[in-house]
Order: sequence, then structure tokens, then C-alpha cells
Amino acid sequence: MEWINPYHLQVASFVLINVILGVSIYVTLSTGQLSLGNAGFMSIGAYAAALLATKYGLPIPVGIAAGALLAGAAGVLVGIPSLRLSGVYLAIATLGFGEVVRAVAINWESLTGGAVGIAAIPQMGRVVLAGARVLGFSPGSLGMKPNQFISLTVFLILLAAAVLTVAFFLRLGRSRVGRAYAAIRIDEGAAEASGIPVTYYKVLAFSQGAMVSGLAGALYAHSTSFISPSDFTYHRAVEILVFAVFGGSGHILGPVFGAAFLTVVPEALRVISHYRYILYGVLVVLMMIFRPQGIIDAPLLRRLRRDRAAEAA
Amino acid sequence: MSALLVLERIGKSFGGLTALSDISFSVEAGEIVGVIGPNGAGKTTLFNVITSLFPPTEGSVRFDGEAIAGLPAHAVTRRGIGRTFQNIRLFAAMTVEENVMVGRHCRTRAGVWRGVLRTRGEREEERGIRERTRELLDLVGLPGTISGQAAGSLPYGHQRRLEIARALAAGPRLLLLDEPAAGMNEAETTEVFDLIRRVRALGVTILLIEHDMSLVMRACDRLVVFHFGRKIAEGPPAAIRDDPGVIEAYLGAADGVADA
Repeated sequence: MEWINPYHLQVASFVLINVILGVSIYVTLSTGQLSLGNAGFMSIGAYAAALLATKYGLPIPVGIAAGALLAGAAGVLVGIPSLRLSGVYLAIATLGFGEVVRAVAINWESLTGGAVGIAAIPQMGRVVLAGARVLGFSPGSLGMKPNQFISLTVFLILLAAAVLTVAFFLRLGRSRVGRAYAAIRIDEGAAEASGIPVTYYKVLAFSQGAMVSGLAGALYAHSTSFISPSDFTYHRAVEILVFAVFGGSGHILGPVFGAAFLTVVPEALRVISHYRYILYGVLVVLMMIFRPQGIIDAPLLRRLRRDRAAEAA
Repeated sequence: MSALLVLERIGKSFGGLTALSDISFSVEAGEIVGVIGPNGAGKTTLFNVITSLFPPTEGSVRFDGEAIAGLPAHAVTRRGIGRTFQNIRLFAAMTVEENVMVGRHCRTRAGVWRGVLRTRGEREEERGIRERTRELLDLVGLPGTISGQAAGSLPYGHQRRLEIARALAAGPRLLLLDEPAAGMNEAETTEVFDLIRRVRALGVTILLIEHDMSLVMRACDRLVVFHFGRKIAEGPPAAIRDDPGVIEAYLGAADGVADA
């Protein structure tokens, strides 16, 4: 079991959290709304889960669910007034929302621990290991060291969460609701005239995006066991945006690919990881010039599918 | 029998600009009524008011006895008023089939969870939507072979038909057609005429904006004539053709007559 490298698993875990964040921006974008508030919703999910675990001792799954739901509820509250805005104005307003959340997290010290943040959040892997030990299990029986087991557990939980999230929205995209989202994205007026309650679906998509961000935040809190407001700055919001810009926002696999690629590459090229944000900036400029729809678009997916069909034949 | 659609003293202004004033007329169930008038007469504005894309400044719209002015547009569609647009507004990046399926939205119910879990009810509903979509594509004369193509890639005439199919998917009792024959040659216009007749035969009442006078005269039971946001005439096509006020609106006043 030497091949289980906790460092690689940690990078993979960040990839998976970022994949979920990529889905979160995709969901709101699929109704044509650009939200940069997902770092704020992520922070709501993270703080809710962390506080429920550390202050109230609630089980981790309960805290994660509560964090996601609370972020979703915040999404409804932000989404309704934001309906009056579109395009870049919506982006600016939601970016402002993210900063408001961060300011609250810094200043409400009695609850959030202020700028210092919250430490000693139960870590999913450790909690599972402790539980397994009570049942008489030892990682040694699988030939693993405890830290290998912990990293692997976190990775598997995040993998399940990411796969379920992507599958959920893949299926939703091919359903009646997904068709309504796509119609709204293309032409709101025609969608409304075709009998689609546009307002309802825009708020729904906005809130779903917020909920997915909250889920990512809650999982993040229980993976790293330490959160502070500096985890949820506008850098994070821009990072999530770049997942969609780079990967493409026309298909859910776009931001998924963007998140994976942009998490792995800076890690693999350690030397440049200091220049991460410069890299993002350059990437955005290059993408806007050469491939504004992102790496993954419908024609590319069709081509890939054809190639696979040709191979199978 | 009370009329299907009753407009009473409709007025609509945008800021200081009056687009419609004091428009009253009604449409009986089963009729084909044409709305004609020079460009800028307010015909499309009237459609936008009826479908609640924006509310009238004054007056009331009654559909099947119910006041509908001020309802959201999707609720008006749901009550049974469908429309097409003068500048075709299809979902260009979606397929032909998906466009019609979107039109079925307000007659179907599956929400987020049923869609994600693909429950049996949801699968049956989807099957029903696809079936209805095929019937409608057939009705408007689009071959099933193109149902997977992007709507935006269709030739112009096909796009017009697809938009009618999408509107019919919502199961309207009243269909508003905004220049369905615009930009078409004579043969295509005749096809549109046939299609309008077929739709009426299904029990759908039709309100039609059209500039092609031969189509209007042949297709409509009754005409309403607009000029500068006012209704200047109403009646059977033959009477409208000979109405001096209408001739004046279209051709301009003969010299001397205007001053007399």
C-alpha cells in the first residue's frame, strides 16, 4: 500500500472540492446568470458546518447538509433582489455580497473567531478512523498507515460528493427543468412566452448554485479542519469564475475540466504556483481572444463522442 | 355566446409616446381575425399587451371571461394564449425537437427531483412530450428527420413553422401569429395559409398580423385595421377593402381630399 501517497490524495481532494465549485457556477450560468458570490456561499456553508460541529457537537453529515441548505436559503434571499440585474451588474452585486459575508466573518468575532477563523474542526478522515477503531478496525490490517487511511477516506468521500453532484446536474440538464434553464439562457422573453415561469427558475438555479457552493464549503471545512475568512476572498470567487471561463460553461463538463486542470497544473509545476493568479489572468485573456466559449464546447463533445463510437465500431 | 377574447379601451404608452389608444374589439371562438395596418400602427404592441409581455396602461383584456391584464406572461400562456414573434425567436442553439418540448412546459409537471431521479411518472411524461412534439412537427409540415438539428440552422420558412409548432405545444385556444408569411414567396405563403386553416380546424382561434393582403383577404373571417395606434375600421375583408378610411391610411389621402 506504499503507493497511497497522502500528498497526492490531498491534491486530488482539492481538485474534487474545486470540481463541486465549478458545478456551482455552472448551475447559475445555465440560466444565463453570472454569479461571483459563490465564494460567499461557500463560506456560509463552511462556517455553518464548522460551527455546528465545534460548538454544538452535531454529527458531520448533519452539519454538511445544514451548511448546504443554509447557503441555498441565502441564495434565495440574494437571488430575488438580484433578478433585477443581469450580466455584469449581477456579477458586481454578487461579488459585493461575497465581500459582505467575509466582512461579517471577520467582525462577528464571538461567533466566527474573527480573522483567526475556526480551528480544530473535526476532520472527516480522522472521525471515520476513530469510529472504525472503536469497532476494532485498524488501518494496519489493510496495510495502510493511519495518515494514508485518513487521506484516502477524505478523498473517497469527496469523490462520492463530486460524482453525485455532477450526476445530479447532468440528469437535471436533460429533464424538463433543464430545458427550461436552457431556454431562459438563450432568450428569456421567448421562454416566458412559451409558458416558462422565468423568475421562478432563475431563483431556483441561483439558489441551487449557492447550495452547491455551500456543500463545497462544508466539505472543505471538514477536510482541512481549519477555516478563516482569507479562504473565501474574491480571489476564490475569481478562481471559480476562471474554472468556467477556461473549461467552458456550455456543458457541465467544462467547469469540471477547468477546475481539475487549474488545480493540478499549479501543483504539478510547484515553481509557478506563486504566480497562480498571474497565470489565471493570462489564461482569461488568452481564452477571450482564442476560445471565448472555453475549452469544452458542444462541437468538441460531439467530436469526442463520434471518435468513441468509431472506435467501438 | 360570449367572445373568447375581449379587449376594452386598451391604451398603452411608453413614456410620452402613445402606442395604442382606446382599442376595443373582440374575437369569437373559432374565428380567424386579421390585424392589419401600416408599419408602426401598434399591431405588435397589441400582441405584447394581450400576451402580457407588458401590461396595458389602460383598459382591460378578458380571455374566456377572465381579466388577464397584469398576469405574468407565462400565466397567460398557461391559460391558453400562444404566440409567435415577428422577428423569429426560437431557441437557436437547441434542437428542433427541444424547441417544441420547451413549449410543452406549462402542460407538464416534473420538477427537480422527479427529473433527476427519472421516476416512472417522469419517464412517461417525457415520452408523452416527445410524442406530442412529433405530432406537432408533422402538423406544421416539418420532417421528423430534422428534429435533431439545431433550430438556428433551419431555413427561414422552416423556422417560422417551428415557432408555430412550439406555440401549439402549449395547447393554446387562441394563437397570435405575428407576420407568419413575412419574407416568403407566393408558394410558401400559400403553405402558411393552409397551415393556418389546419390549425383552426383543430379548434384554435387565430389572431393574425399580416402585411400580405392576398393572404389576409383569403384567410380571415374578419379584419381589424390599425392606424397610428387607433382602430380605424373593423369588419369582413370585402367591406374593409372598400373602406375609404382604410384606403386613405394605406395609400395616403388623395390630393385635395385631405383638406376638404
